[in-house]
Amino acid sequence: MDWAWIGDHLPQLVSRTGQHLYLTAIALVIGFAISFAIGVAVTRWRAIYVPAAVFAGIVFTIPSIALFAALVPITRLSVLTAEVPLVLYTLVILLRNVVAGFDAVPADVREAADAMGFRRTARLVRVELPLAVPLIIAGLRVASVSTIGLVTITAILGQTLGGLGFFIYEGMNRFFATEIYAGAIPTILLALLVDRLFVVIQRLVTPWAQRVRPLEGTAT
Amino acid sequence: MPTTSATGRRAATVEFKHVTKRYDAGAKNTPGAVNDLSMTVPAGKICVLVGPSGCGKTTSLKMVNRLIEPTSGQILIDGVDAATRDVNDLRRTIGYVIQQVGLFPHQTIADNVATVPRLLGWPKQRQVERANELLGFVGLDPVRYRRRYPSQLSGGERQRVGVARALAADPPIMLMDEPFGAVDPIVRERLQNEFLRLQEELAKTILFVTHDIDEAIKMGDLVAVMQVGGLLAQFGPPAEILASPASEFVAQFVGTDRGLKRLSLARVGDLAIRPAITGRDGDPAGPARERIVADPFPYLLLLDGTERPVGWLDQREVPTEGVLKADRAIPMSPLLNRRTTLKDALSILLDADVQAGIVVDRQGKVLGLVTAGMIFDWFREDARDLGPERQVPAEETAAAAVRV
Repeated sequence: MDWAWIGDHLPQLVSRTGQHLYLTAIALVIGFAISFAIGVAVTRWRAIYVPAAVFAGIVFTIPSIALFAALVPITRLSVLTAEVPLVLYTLVILLRNVVAGFDAVPADVREAADAMGFRRTARLVRVELPLAVPLIIAGLRVASVSTIGLVTITAILGQTLGGLGFFIYEGMNRFFATEIYAGAIPTILLALLVDRLFVVIQRLVTPWAQRVRPLEGTAT
Repeated sequence: MPTTSATGRRAATVEFKHVTKRYDAGAKNTPGAVNDLSMTVPAGKICVLVGPSGCGKTTSLKMVNRLIEPTSGQILIDGVDAATRDVNDLRRTIGYVIQQVGLFPHQTIADNVATVPRLLGWPKQRQVERANELLGFVGLDPVRYRRRYPSQLSGGERQRVGVARALAADPPIMLMDEPFGAVDPIVRERLQNEFLRLQEELAKTILFVTHDIDEAIKMGDLVAVMQVGGLLAQFGPPAEILASPASEFVAQFVGTDRGLKRLSLARVGDLAIRPAITGRDGDPAGPARERIVADPFPYLLLLDGTERPVGWLDQREVPTEGVLKADRAIPMSPLLNRRTTLKDALSILLDADVQAGIVVDRQGKVLGLVTAGMIFDWFREDARDLGPERQVPAEETAAAAVRV
């Protein structure tokens, strides 16, 4: 390891980490918004689920490099070229988890909500969504880790993109191991960190789903 | 505005008028169909819908709060067709309790209970007070329970919360679909008894679905027996259904032991209790002997100084002179009171040395005697009073049961 190089490039490391998070966040936010919208639509019109899932599944099979290459003539070497594949790849995970989340709402809970006079939107927001949260967050965890990995590949689209992948790509071209590590290790740490962050968020927003604490003297 | 009292006495009449629900022949997993159901549940009564699975009892229930819409016919609530009302407004005035309870797992017990008040936009403070009041009403200490989540409660506790939630906005009608079906028999019995006690205060109109005829007889002021195809086989008070089943199906469904079930509905207080010939320990024997020899019942009931029974004396054992002595007494079977069911009374008589049950009041003083013959006489007269349109002979019922 060439520690001097790392010392010299600290500001770039920090800014590239920021860029990495930024590229990841855009993909997740847009991917989640699309998946959530489709997922909500599926609760109403079940028939659209299979076509949507098949589409997301097929897109997922396209190699990322091929997809980037295919987009370059259309969107040039822009953030859009990077984000379109990143967003598309999140769909296969997020859509499935959003739908699974809504499906996991017990039928008796839904029926009870109807019987108490919840209007449709109120039922969705106040009953079904909170109960879908654990599976939705599980999807976000997987999607975020996979997106953080994929962001590194966007480095092939030029120096303005790639996040920490920039160092990996440049290190490969220069046969310079330190720079590859400087890109790869923070990427891994970032993935682990974001994953933990979602776990913490889930604990905070679903206190009811925690492991049941034994209670003293529970009468029937 | 609903009243704030947990025990608000508001009830509504529910009238089914030629209600039919059909499903497409090809449709899978549909609930039972209902065929031309007409019946009226008076305000403040518990009407139990009972029948085998697929008889349409749950479908009938769910048509009241329009979770299922009838194919034809009307359901009138206090004379107003339910179909003409805004469906959510309608549902907020009808309590709903189901076997799986359907509590919201992500909300605390207090929030679960306050669900309908919240939907109705009650002020926050009033929601909290109402939840506390109702938790206490169903026997759960609000301080201990209000902040818990449903997953932290036992099945019986969850069911109580379900009842509290259904009562939150003091609805005039409650729909209960096998509400005590998922708890063990001991808890079920306790919940049934508690619910009947609560209903004495509430006096709601309750439609209650079960497949268990014993539960139907126990809970119902009225019982609607339904059979597959959604036909109403018989509708009436439980005693009437037991005494004179309207068809072979009903006779079979209520069981060949329907006579015993009838006995469990009637109580010693329903009989004309006959006076006992009594004598006190230490009384002169001569006059006592004269009285007991004159009576067709050959045993003298010996009492202590406070009118409480101590045992029987065979009339042949009562001396012509001297005093009555407790040491010659034959031991008594367990004492009866006016609330004892005839079933229990008969059971005690079967096991007794002297064929008479001693009925005592709350202080333990003797009121009189009950004999097996009196129970049989009551049984026959009661059946006659209930006016059988067609009495199905017991042998026929037994034969039908064997065929099945």
